[in-house]
Amino acid sequence: MDRREFLKTGGLFLVGTPCVYGLMAMAAPRPHEAGATDARRWGMVIDLNRCPADCSACLEACRRENNVAVHGDRRWDIHWIRKVTIRKKHEADAPTRTLPLLCNHCDHPPCAQVCPVQATYKRADGIVIVDHHRCIGCRYCLIACPYNARYFNYRENDEWPNKAYPKRSHGVAESCNFCAHRLDQGRPPACVEACRDSGAGALKVGDLDDPDSEISRLIADNSVKRIREDLGTEPKVYYIGL
Amino acid sequence: MEIDYEPIAGRSTGYYLLLTALLVLVAAGVTATVLMIAYGIHLSGMTNRVPWGLQIVMAIFYIGLSAGSLVVSGLYGIFGKLEYKPFARIAAFLAMLFLIAGLLSIVTDQGRIDRVFVQPFAHFNATSMFSINPALYMGHIMICIFYMWALFKEKGRLTKVTSVTVVLWALCVHTGTGAIFAFTPRELYNTALLPPSFVAAALSSGAALMILVLVSLFRITRRHLDVALVIWLGRLLAVFIIVAMYVILIENAHRFYLIESREATSYYLFKGYHAVLFWGGLIVVGSVVPAVLLFRRRTGTSVPWIVFSSVLVVVGVLCERYLIVLPGLEHPPNLFPGMEIIASALDEGIVTYSISLLEILQALGVLSLIGFMFVLGLKYLPLLPTEARAHGQSQRLKDLIARATANAEAEPTSPAV
Repeated sequence: MDRREFLKTGGLFLVGTPCVYGLMAMAAPRPHEAGATDARRWGMVIDLNRCPADCSACLEACRRENNVAVHGDRRWDIHWIRKVTIRKKHEADAPTRTLPLLCNHCDHPPCAQVCPVQATYKRADGIVIVDHHRCIGCRYCLIACPYNARYFNYRENDEWPNKAYPKRSHGVAESCNFCAHRLDQGRPPACVEACRDSGAGALKVGDLDDPDSEISRLIADNSVKRIREDLGTEPKVYYIGL
Repeated sequence: MEIDYEPIAGRSTGYYLLLTALLVLVAAGVTATVLMIAYGIHLSGMTNRVPWGLQIVMAIFYIGLSAGSLVVSGLYGIFGKLEYKPFARIAAFLAMLFLIAGLLSIVTDQGRIDRVFVQPFAHFNATSMFSINPALYMGHIMICIFYMWALFKEKGRLTKVTSVTVVLWALCVHTGTGAIFAFTPRELYNTALLPPSFVAAALSSGAALMILVLVSLFRITRRHLDVALVIWLGRLLAVFIIVAMYVILIENAHRFYLIESREATSYYLFKGYHAVLFWGGLIVVGSVVPAVLLFRRRTGTSVPWIVFSSVLVVVGVLCERYLIVLPGLEHPPNLFPGMEIIASALDEGIVTYSISLLEILQALGVLSLIGFMFVLGLKYLPLLPTEARAHGQSQRLKDLIARATANAEAEPTSPAV
């Protein structure tokens, strides 16, 4: 092979490889897309009057179901759902409130808006989900999310309790996906199921577009709040008693 | 005007030692990056609350530096200032290298570097500044290469056209880089003044770096550089500093004035180490002192003082870049207005980012790589002119030079150029 030929072949290889991979990437189907239909718009109602401050059934169920990484270090632990305790500013003896926080599955998700590879996207049924095979790990979604609901796999997750669901490699971002894989099978998300089984029944998931669904009625009959509604992100997690 | 370009010989021991030292640093950076690819980027100082750190700071710092070089290059290309023609090639080369450094910093910061070269092209997201900017950066590098070719081949008209294109393109690049932060719903990020302030600080840091590179290069290679040219660049730098300071002060006054962002702004302007970086690093050391030095007749016409001011400006803008990225992350988003979070599994309050050693190695590696390319370029590309003389000087400039020469004679310790 002479020099010219070598350069030609090398150049072709250099340009060709990313092109082929690019085409393959373009053709790759979305995971969790199969069950998505625009006939439904999933939302959640959390009734804080029925949510005991010291209960953590939803957190544990979520970790088990989705193989969410706990490294024992606050800097890198991942929380698809976490409980926070709040009280009025500058009033040390004001009553406190404890509530679960999770991805709000915004109708206008800033995380999906900024994702450079469209790895984070909104499904037809309104669920905001991450394609972990596409995420490049730029962490722009963590920057853009106004709810601190996005997390990054800073290190490898050694635990893999639920073999039926994939765990994530280090280097990709993730957040709650309303257990899309379960909803697609007609089962409630793990947190909702655990909350129901614990007897509290504070978490409800359902179709926001159906006026007769349980959560639509709860929203209509109660005074509900969403977190930072003023941002215009249109969150789909509603709180009763916040 | 004919200019002779003569690459450096590059056969001295010092030259090879420099190349070796740079390569060692590059190897250290590569090692750090490989470790992060293997074990995850918890090896950096970043956390779920502070997801961006030193690499992003350095990326925007490098990208900013490339702007000033281009403007110096454009003085000849666009405005036809023949005095600056000797610098045009070096400036264009540096602009390209710094863009590469910026891009490399961003690439090595990703969690999945293996996907960076495919996914962004296969799934371009038009609403993401992180999609738009790499396209702008890549285009910029291409135009810089074409521009250098036009300069090397002495294409008169084509050089001018390319020069205009590359400066306009650079404006887009910098506006886009500022928009990465400005276009997100974060308290200390979402200000429309961020892109302009980014451009302004880019111009001042770039011009300062250009002065440093030119003065040291001409000195080390023992080539003649007219004092007048350095003085002129110093004047240009002084104007850039004032513009940058104006935009940055307005930006902060605005967000401090608005009650909704006052808490966050006062946290970063008056508390903790940010306050030291802002008032000490950016305002006093990086802006006021160099501006005064450059505007004063005696110091503004003395090359050592101009060089000193340039060092200060580069340090100040590095502080500014840090302040763009970090305070907005270390300060938490306001999840519950009027309430405070007293318990959570996540750190919900103010957190502090601490740079890790591996991150520093990565940053040094990137800088050394472009340093390596620059040193090689000096040997193999016709970049360096044999001399740089100011022609057709005005009377005012002649007076300045006379004064500078008198200064140099009065202070025998100050190095003549």
